[in-house]
Amino acid sequence: MKAVRRVLLIVALLALGPAQALAQVFEKVEGPVRAEIPAVPFVAAAYGIIWLAILFYVFIIARGLARVDGEIADLKRKVDRQDIRP
Amino acid sequence: MRSRGIGFGFILALAVAVLGFAVIPRMILNAPAEPTMGVVQKIFYFHVPCAFMLFLSTFVCAGGSIAYLFKSSEAGDRVAASAGELAVLFGACVLTSGPLWGRKAWGVWWQWDTRLTTSFLLFLMMVAFLLARRYGGPAGRKLGAALSLFAAISVPVVYKSVDMARTIHPKTTVVTTLDPHMRAAFWSSVLLMTVVLAVLFMLRLRLERARAEVAELRLAVEDAAEVPR
Repeated sequence: MKAVRRVLLIVALLALGPAQALAQVFEKVEGPVRAEIPAVPFVAAAYGIIWLAILFYVFIIARGLARVDGEIADLKRKVDRQDIRP
Repeated sequence: MRSRGIGFGFILALAVAVLGFAVIPRMILNAPAEPTMGVVQKIFYFHVPCAFMLFLSTFVCAGGSIAYLFKSSEAGDRVAASAGELAVLFGACVLTSGPLWGRKAWGVWWQWDTRLTTSFLLFLMMVAFLLARRYGGPAGRKLGAALSLFAAISVPVVYKSVDMARTIHPKTTVVTTLDPHMRAAFWSSVLLMTVVLAVLFMLRLRLERARAEVAELRLAVEDAAEVPR
Protein backbone atom coordinates (compact mmCIF):
# COMPACT_ATOMS: atom_id res chain seq x y z
CA MET A 1 0.00 0.00 0.00
CA LYS A 2 2.84 2.34 0.95
CA ALA A 3 4.67 1.64 -2.32
CA VAL A 4 1.51 2.35 -4.35
CA ARG A 5 1.10 5.70 -2.55
CA ARG A 6 4.71 6.60 -3.31
CA VAL A 7 4.29 5.77 -7.02
CA LEU A 8 1.09 7.82 -7.20
CA LEU A 9 2.83 10.78 -5.57
CA ILE A 10 5.74 10.63 -8.04
CA VAL A 11 3.32 10.37 -10.99
CA ALA A 12 1.35 13.36 -9.69
CA LEU A 13 4.52 15.44 -9.28
CA LEU A 14 5.71 14.57 -12.80
CA ALA A 15 2.28 15.40 -14.23
CA LEU A 16 2.28 18.83 -12.58
CA GLY A 17 5.54 19.77 -14.25
CA PRO A 18 8.28 22.02 -12.89
CA ALA A 19 7.42 24.60 -10.24
CA GLN A 20 6.82 28.19 -11.28
CA ALA A 21 10.03 29.32 -9.60
CA LEU A 22 12.12 27.01 -11.78
CA ALA A 23 10.52 28.45 -14.90
CA GLN A 24 11.76 31.96 -14.09
CA VAL A 25 14.73 33.36 -15.94
CA PHE A 26 17.47 35.47 -14.39
CA GLU A 27 18.05 38.54 -16.46
CA LYS A 28 21.37 40.31 -16.57
CA VAL A 29 21.51 43.92 -15.46
CA GLU A 30 22.60 46.48 -18.02
CA GLY A 31 24.88 49.24 -16.69
CA PRO A 32 25.82 49.78 -13.05
CA VAL A 33 23.88 47.86 -10.37
CA ARG A 34 21.68 50.10 -8.25
CA ALA A 35 20.09 49.32 -4.88
CA GLU A 36 16.31 48.92 -4.96
CA ILE A 37 15.72 51.24 -2.01
CA PRO A 38 17.82 54.43 -1.82
CA ALA A 39 19.60 54.71 1.54
CA VAL A 40 19.91 58.49 1.85
CA PRO A 41 16.23 59.17 2.76
CA PHE A 42 16.48 56.60 5.59
CA VAL A 43 19.66 58.18 6.99
CA ALA A 44 18.17 61.68 6.67
CA ALA A 45 14.90 60.58 8.30
CA ALA A 46 16.67 58.88 11.23
CA TYR A 47 18.95 61.89 11.79
CA GLY A 48 16.08 64.37 11.39
CA ILE A 49 13.71 62.51 13.72
CA ILE A 50 16.32 62.32 16.50
CA TRP A 51 17.17 66.03 16.41
CA LEU A 52 13.55 67.10 15.97
CA ALA A 53 12.59 65.02 19.01
CA ILE A 54 15.37 66.62 21.06
CA LEU A 55 14.43 70.15 19.91
CA PHE A 56 10.76 69.48 20.63
CA TYR A 57 11.71 68.29 24.13
CA VAL A 58 13.78 71.45 24.71
CA PHE A 59 10.79 73.53 23.61
CA ILE A 60 8.47 71.68 26.02
CA ILE A 61 10.89 72.15 28.93
CA ALA A 62 11.47 75.84 28.11
CA ARG A 63 7.70 76.43 27.99
CA GLY A 64 7.26 74.60 31.31
CA LEU A 65 10.05 76.62 32.89
CA ALA A 66 8.57 79.92 31.71
CA ARG A 67 5.16 78.96 33.14
CA VAL A 68 6.55 77.77 36.49
CA ASP A 69 8.84 80.81 36.81
CA GLY A 70 5.79 83.05 36.28
CA GLU A 71 3.91 81.11 38.94
CA ILE A 72 6.83 81.48 41.37
CA ALA A 73 6.91 85.24 40.80
CA ASP A 74 3.15 85.46 41.50
CA LEU A 75 3.38 83.38 44.65
CA LYS A 76 6.39 85.37 45.88
CA ARG A 77 4.38 88.59 45.48
CA LYS A 78 1.57 87.04 47.55
CA VAL A 79 4.06 85.90 50.20
CA ASP A 80 5.57 89.40 50.37
CA ARG A 81 2.13 90.99 50.70
CA GLN A 82 1.17 88.62 53.52
CA ASP A 83 4.60 88.99 55.10
CA ILE A 84 5.16 85.24 55.54
CA ARG A 85 8.20 83.03 55.10
CA PRO A 86 8.06 79.76 53.12
CA MET B 1 15.84 77.49 49.43
CA ARG B 2 18.32 76.32 46.74
CA SER B 3 19.17 78.43 43.77
CA ARG B 4 17.64 77.28 40.48
CA GLY B 5 19.97 79.41 38.36
CA ILE B 6 21.78 78.02 35.31
CA GLY B 7 25.46 77.87 36.08
CA PHE B 8 28.77 77.81 34.26
CA GLY B 9 28.56 74.03 33.71
CA PHE B 10 25.33 74.41 31.75
CA ILE B 11 26.72 77.17 29.51
CA LEU B 12 29.90 75.15 28.87
CA ALA B 13 27.88 72.03 28.01
CA LEU B 14 25.66 74.07 25.69
CA ALA B 15 28.74 75.50 23.92
CA VAL B 16 30.20 71.99 23.47
CA ALA B 17 26.85 70.78 22.08
CA VAL B 18 26.70 73.64 19.56
CA LEU B 19 30.32 72.94 18.53
CA GLY B 20 29.47 69.26 18.20
CA PHE B 21 26.57 70.00 15.86
CA ALA B 22 28.97 71.87 13.60
CA VAL B 23 31.75 69.26 13.55
CA ILE B 24 30.34 65.77 14.11
CA PRO B 25 27.89 65.51 11.15
CA ARG B 26 30.89 66.25 8.88
CA MET B 27 32.93 63.52 10.61
CA ILE B 28 30.07 61.06 10.07
CA LEU B 29 29.79 62.00 6.39
CA ASN B 30 33.56 61.61 5.91
CA ALA B 31 33.75 58.27 7.75
CA PRO B 32 34.32 55.35 5.34
CA ALA B 33 31.23 53.52 4.06
CA GLU B 34 30.56 49.97 5.21
CA PRO B 35 30.81 47.57 2.21
CA THR B 36 27.73 45.40 2.88
CA MET B 37 25.19 47.99 4.01
CA GLY B 38 26.58 51.10 2.31
CA VAL B 39 25.31 54.56 3.22
CA VAL B 40 22.52 53.36 5.51
CA GLN B 41 25.16 52.12 7.99
CA LYS B 42 25.69 55.82 8.89
CA ILE B 43 22.53 55.56 11.03
CA PHE B 44 24.80 53.58 13.39
CA TYR B 45 26.59 56.83 14.37
CA PHE B 46 23.53 58.23 16.11
CA HIS B 47 21.39 55.12 16.69
CA VAL B 48 23.98 53.49 19.01
CA PRO B 49 24.83 56.71 20.95
CA CYS B 50 21.09 57.18 21.53
CA ALA B 51 20.94 53.61 22.88
CA PHE B 52 23.88 54.38 25.21
CA MET B 53 22.02 57.47 26.44
CA LEU B 54 18.91 55.34 27.05
CA PHE B 55 21.04 53.02 29.21
CA LEU B 56 22.74 55.89 31.03
CA SER B 57 19.46 57.71 31.78
CA THR B 58 17.92 54.46 33.03
CA PHE B 59 20.84 53.96 35.43
CA VAL B 60 20.64 57.57 36.67
CA CYS B 61 16.88 57.16 37.11
CA ALA B 62 17.44 53.98 39.12
CA GLY B 63 20.10 55.73 41.26
CA GLY B 64 17.66 58.55 42.08
CA SER B 65 14.92 56.00 42.76
CA ILE B 66 17.14 54.10 45.23
CA ALA B 67 17.80 57.37 47.10
CA TYR B 68 14.06 58.09 47.14
CA LEU B 69 12.96 54.57 48.12
CA PHE B 70 15.51 53.90 50.85
CA LYS B 71 16.34 57.40 52.14
CA SER B 72 13.12 59.26 51.25
CA SER B 73 15.26 61.76 49.37
CA GLU B 74 13.13 64.30 47.49
CA ALA B 75 16.24 65.33 45.49
CA GLY B 76 16.66 61.69 44.46
CA ASP B 77 13.05 61.62 43.31
CA ARG B 78 13.59 64.74 41.22
CA VAL B 79 16.70 63.18 39.63
CA ALA B 80 14.71 60.00 38.87
CA ALA B 81 11.82 61.95 37.31
CA SER B 82 14.18 63.95 35.08
CA ALA B 83 16.31 60.98 34.00
CA GLY B 84 13.25 58.77 33.47
CA GLU B 85 11.77 61.24 31.01
CA LEU B 86 15.09 61.40 29.14
CA ALA B 87 15.22 57.59 28.99
CA VAL B 88 11.85 57.63 27.24
CA LEU B 89 13.04 60.36 24.86
CA PHE B 90 16.22 58.48 23.88
CA GLY B 91 14.34 55.17 23.82
CA ALA B 92 11.93 56.67 21.28
CA CYS B 93 14.92 57.85 19.22
CA VAL B 94 16.43 54.34 19.27
CA LEU B 95 13.14 52.70 18.36
CA THR B 96 12.57 55.01 15.39
CA SER B 97 16.10 55.14 13.96
CA GLY B 98 16.51 51.33 14.30
CA PRO B 99 13.55 50.36 12.08
CA LEU B 100 14.70 52.91 9.47
CA TRP B 101 18.06 51.15 9.38
CA GLY B 102 16.43 47.71 9.43
CA ARG B 103 14.09 48.51 6.53
CA LYS B 104 17.07 49.14 4.27
CA ALA B 105 19.51 46.59 5.68
CA TRP B 106 17.12 43.68 6.41
CA GLY B 107 14.19 44.56 4.17
CA VAL B 108 11.75 44.79 7.11
CA TRP B 109 10.85 47.55 9.54
CA TRP B 110 10.72 45.28 12.57
CA GLN B 111 11.72 41.77 13.68
CA TRP B 112 10.82 40.20 17.02
CA ASP B 113 14.52 39.56 17.44
CA THR B 114 16.08 39.34 20.95
CA ARG B 115 17.75 42.79 20.86
CA LEU B 116 14.75 44.57 19.39
CA THR B 117 12.28 42.91 21.74
CA THR B 118 14.34 43.52 24.91
CA SER B 119 14.95 47.16 23.88
CA PHE B 120 11.22 47.63 23.30
CA LEU B 121 10.48 46.12 26.74
CA LEU B 122 13.01 48.46 28.39
CA PHE B 123 11.34 51.41 26.67
CA LEU B 124 7.91 50.20 27.87
CA MET B 125 9.22 49.91 31.44
CA MET B 126 10.39 53.52 31.33
CA VAL B 127 7.04 54.62 29.88
CA ALA B 128 5.36 52.69 32.74
CA PHE B 129 7.62 54.59 35.17
CA LEU B 130 6.29 57.93 33.87
CA LEU B 131 2.68 56.69 33.79
CA ALA B 132 2.91 55.37 37.36
CA ARG B 133 4.21 58.74 38.56
CA ARG B 134 1.50 60.66 36.73
CA TYR B 135 -1.55 58.47 37.30
CA GLY B 136 -0.50 56.19 40.17
CA GLY B 137 -2.02 58.37 42.91
CA PRO B 138 -0.25 58.79 46.27
CA ALA B 139 1.85 55.62 45.79
CA GLY B 140 2.70 56.47 42.17
CA ARG B 141 6.17 57.82 42.86
CA LYS B 142 7.18 54.71 44.85
CA LEU B 143 5.67 52.39 42.26
CA GLY B 144 7.55 54.24 39.53
CA ALA B 145 10.80 54.04 41.52
CA ALA B 146 10.42 50.27 41.88
CA LEU B 147 9.75 49.96 38.14
CA SER B 148 12.89 51.91 37.31
CA LEU B 149 14.97 49.41 39.33
CA PHE B 150 13.66 46.57 37.15
CA ALA B 151 14.43 48.67 34.08
CA ALA B 152 18.03 49.19 35.26
CA ILE B 153 18.44 45.45 35.89
CA SER B 154 17.25 44.76 32.34
CA VAL B 155 19.85 47.10 30.75
CA PRO B 156 22.73 44.52 30.82
CA VAL B 157 20.30 41.95 29.39
CA VAL B 158 19.46 44.30 26.51
CA TYR B 159 23.15 45.01 25.90
CA LYS B 160 24.31 41.38 25.98
CA SER B 161 21.22 39.97 24.22
CA VAL B 162 22.98 40.03 20.83
CA ASP B 163 25.83 37.92 22.19
CA MET B 164 23.62 35.50 24.13
CA ALA B 165 21.08 34.62 21.44
CA ARG B 166 21.01 34.08 17.70
CA THR B 167 20.07 37.39 16.17
CA ILE B 168 20.18 39.37 12.95
CA HIS B 169 21.15 42.54 14.85
CA PRO B 170 24.90 43.44 14.78
CA LYS B 171 26.79 42.13 17.81
CA THR B 172 28.47 44.26 20.52
CA THR B 173 31.86 43.50 18.93
CA VAL B 174 31.14 45.89 16.03
CA VAL B 175 32.00 48.80 18.31
CA THR B 176 35.32 47.36 19.49
CA THR B 177 36.40 46.32 15.99
CA LEU B 178 35.63 49.59 14.20
CA ASP B 179 37.99 51.04 11.60
CA PRO B 180 39.98 53.96 13.18
CA HIS B 181 38.15 56.57 11.03
CA MET B 182 34.78 55.10 11.94
CA ARG B 183 35.85 54.88 15.59
CA ALA B 184 36.69 58.61 15.76
CA ALA B 185 33.31 59.58 14.28
CA PHE B 186 31.46 57.11 16.51
CA TRP B 187 33.03 58.15 19.83
CA SER B 188 32.71 61.84 18.94
CA SER B 189 29.04 61.23 18.35
CA VAL B 190 28.77 59.41 21.70
CA LEU B 191 30.46 62.41 23.38
CA LEU B 192 28.05 64.83 21.68
CA MET B 193 25.04 62.80 22.78
CA THR B 194 26.40 62.66 26.34
CA VAL B 195 26.74 66.45 26.40
CA VAL B 196 23.23 66.83 24.94
CA LEU B 197 21.93 64.45 27.61
CA ALA B 198 23.70 66.49 30.32
CA VAL B 199 22.20 69.77 29.02
CA LEU B 200 18.70 68.27 28.83
CA PHE B 201 19.07 66.72 32.27
CA MET B 202 20.12 70.03 33.83
CA LEU B 203 17.18 71.81 32.20
CA ARG B 204 14.71 69.14 33.28
CA LEU B 205 16.09 69.08 36.81
CA ARG B 206 15.75 72.86 36.99
CA LEU B 207 12.07 72.45 36.06
CA GLU B 208 11.59 69.84 38.81
CA ARG B 209 13.22 72.16 41.37
CA ALA B 210 11.04 75.04 40.24
CA ARG B 211 7.94 72.87 40.62
CA ALA B 212 9.05 71.90 44.14
CA GLU B 213 9.48 75.61 44.95
CA VAL B 214 5.96 76.33 43.66
CA ALA B 215 4.55 73.59 45.90
CA GLU B 216 6.44 75.02 48.88
CA LEU B 217 5.25 78.58 48.21
CA ARG B 218 1.65 77.43 47.75
CA LEU B 219 1.76 75.71 51.11
CA ALA B 220 3.14 78.87 52.71
CA VAL B 221 0.37 80.99 51.14
CA GLU B 222 -2.34 78.51 52.15
CA ASP B 223 -1.00 78.28 55.72
CA ALA B 224 -0.93 82.07 56.02
CA ALA B 225 -4.53 82.29 54.76
CA GLU B 226 -5.67 79.82 57.44
CA VAL B 227 -4.01 81.64 60.36
CA PRO B 228 -6.53 84.08 61.98
CA ARG B 229 -5.27 87.69 62.08
